[in-house]
Amino acid sequence: MTEPAKDPQLVLAALARSHPVIELGTLDLCFLAALHLQAEGAVISAFSEEKLSELFEQACALVEPYAENLKRRATHTIQRLRDQKLLARVDGAGVLRAGEFALTRLAASIIESYLADESLTRENLTQLTRSLRVSLAEILTRANEAKELADWRNAVEAPLRVSVSDLVSGIERRQRSLDLEQQEFQTRIAKLLESDWFGAVDQCLELLESTSRTLTELNEILLRDAHELSSLLQDIQEITVDAQAEGAEAAVERVMEQVDRIRAWGAARQRAWSEYYQYVHRYLCDVVRLDPSRALIQRLREQLSQHTSRPFALSVAAAASPRLLREIEPFKDDKPKVSRPRAERERPPADNDAVDQHAIVEELVQGALSRGSLGLCEVTQLVNAETPNELQFVTAGRVAQVVGRLARTTIDRDRPWVSVNEGLVIEEWKLVKGGAHD
Amino acid sequence: MTDTRYLALGDVVGDELFPDVDLALRRGRHIDREDNLWYTFLVDAQALLEAFYRRYGCELIHPADGYFYLLPTGDKLGRRHLSVPEMLVGQALTLLYLDPATLQSGGVIKRADALSHLAAVMGSDALTRAFNPKRKRVDERVAQETVRGKFAEALRRLGALGFVDLLDSDALRLRPGLLRFAEPVRGRGSPAEALERLVARGELVLGDGELDVDEDGEFPEESPEDDEASSKTPEPFEFPSEVLSEFEDFGEQVSPARHPQSELEELGEPPSPLRPPPSEFEDFAGEFSPPPEPPEDET
Repeated sequence: MTEPAKDPQLVLAALARSHPVIELGTLDLCFLAALHLQAEGAVISAFSEEKLSELFEQACALVEPYAENLKRRATHTIQRLRDQKLLARVDGAGVLRAGEFALTRLAASIIESYLADESLTRENLTQLTRSLRVSLAEILTRANEAKELADWRNAVEAPLRVSVSDLVSGIERRQRSLDLEQQEFQTRIAKLLESDWFGAVDQCLELLESTSRTLTELNEILLRDAHELSSLLQDIQEITVDAQAEGAEAAVERVMEQVDRIRAWGAARQRAWSEYYQYVHRYLCDVVRLDPSRALIQRLREQLSQHTSRPFALSVAAAASPRLLREIEPFKDDKPKVSRPRAERERPPADNDAVDQHAIVEELVQGALSRGSLGLCEVTQLVNAETPNELQFVTAGRVAQVVGRLARTTIDRDRPWVSVNEGLVIEEWKLVKGGAHD
Repeated sequence: MTDTRYLALGDVVGDELFPDVDLALRRGRHIDREDNLWYTFLVDAQALLEAFYRRYGCELIHPADGYFYLLPTGDKLGRRHLSVPEMLVGQALTLLYLDPATLQSGGVIKRADALSHLAAVMGSDALTRAFNPKRKRVDERVAQETVRGKFAEALRRLGALGFVDLLDSDALRLRPGLLRFAEPVRGRGSPAEALERLVARGELVLGDGELDVDEDGEFPEESPEDDEASSKTPEPFEFPSEVLSEFEDFGEQVSPARHPQSELEELGEPPSPLRPPPSEFEDFAGEFSPPPEPPEDET
């Protein structure tokens, strides 16, 4: 039966629903460590309430020697650790008698990560890879003999998931510890030089050499053994593929990935260490040995702080880059040109028949006057009768102007306004008979 | 001559590494052990290349700290002097290079740490003044922004010269070439004497180096006094700053000091740099032939 892959989203959602919180102070951790050490030393699996209080007081005496109300604090601490699932009651007697308590797996893991000395060494790496080889060889034999689904599950998949995976995880865990050691080692070299400068050179070189040796050995073991482990795993994988044992195949793939990761770790650390090693070596040779009294830093600091008052500038070569001349390409004018139209803005004069409206009006007015018209309104009506509608208003003015020039009008106190036609009203002038101007 | 895989200059020039290394050196690059192949090439070809570059008026320098660089001492190869920001940042980085605390990270530091170290040693005010030399009244925020901009530009230029490796936007690796900045204070004598000696060797010049250029490629603003002075004595012609900024990468071409007469006598009459003697091409029979002699000057 293949274990279904866990959906990270679902796992996280479930974790969030349970609201897990871990809050541990130094005293809490020391108390848990005391329990862990006591359990290991005395080979006991559970602690009575009285024993718990006693161990808490011992831890408290170390961490907070002047603390008061120890019994009360112990009760609170035990309850808080139980709430955080770090301490569990294991007797199941309820109220019948005082309880017995044990550290949970979570608490044991936390304390082990602080206390365990699990760095990767040549010995433990060799032992672990040897155990792995033996386990995988056994699994390979069982895989060759497996017929039923149950055989695959019990003889191949389960050992791969549990024992082999645990062994590989053990190597990875020790690798992480070694990484931490490397960081501490680098800090230690810096502190050694900081404190003793020239006197620390030999010690630093010794540290560098020993660490280089260790890393080289580990890497050699990893390279050699990882190759053997990979070939064993490939053999098992081929059999699982042929037998279509999906669960076992998935378990093999997982272990193969872990082995690849272990091998990659070795190569990456070797490379990083090589760079660090060279850098420190150069530093020791170029800086520390050439400046045993460590005066250079101080003098350089003074030079920098006084640079603005005593400036200088280093010379460096600065040959100009070669100038490459480009081929001249003919200009391609694909875009439409932006220009003004060249057409003549002035239009040439056209030959039109000139119509002198003034002369026509004057002729019509003379005609009306000769017929004996007695007023301006009558004259205007006669002229407008010969004029298009749109010109009648203008023509009325011209008629008045011509009448004023050609005829004589009476002088009346009031000149009435009379309608010439619809929409045109003018002031009426009475004309004197025979009163035309010359 | 030490053990080397090169017997003649032709072997060196024929190596496929030569063009890249030659160009890098001529552009002021400092080549150290971290430039693995280049450094090995230079170590192997050092004796031949020293003579080769001397004819160009340059010295191929190889200090005990383990790096190479080309130092122009004549007028045949262009050179420039580092600007004030480059010098200040370079010295601050050298301090960090010498600091044992930097060992912990294998010589990799944060840019912000470098700037804060520079400010701590110089003082923030002095640093701001040094990076804003011509601005008399300036907003504090603007001045600090200018400092950050010029610091970044100086780092970029120092990276191009091989003093540091710019790893990403935040980190950089310090390289041995930085020890050049500490040369004036490395000896037992006084810094003034050391400076004189270095000036005589052409390693550095006294005073501010290259004309400072803003990070945006513009030259600093003139002060009002400068404006008045310039209005009284107008310049016949000047390019606008936008045009000048296009030539930023060219640096300042400095016409070098002439050789002292004694040095010239020692060197003898050097052949033309573009016309090496035919003997140099003996190993390239069939591949190279010396260029033809120029016609005699008829005048």
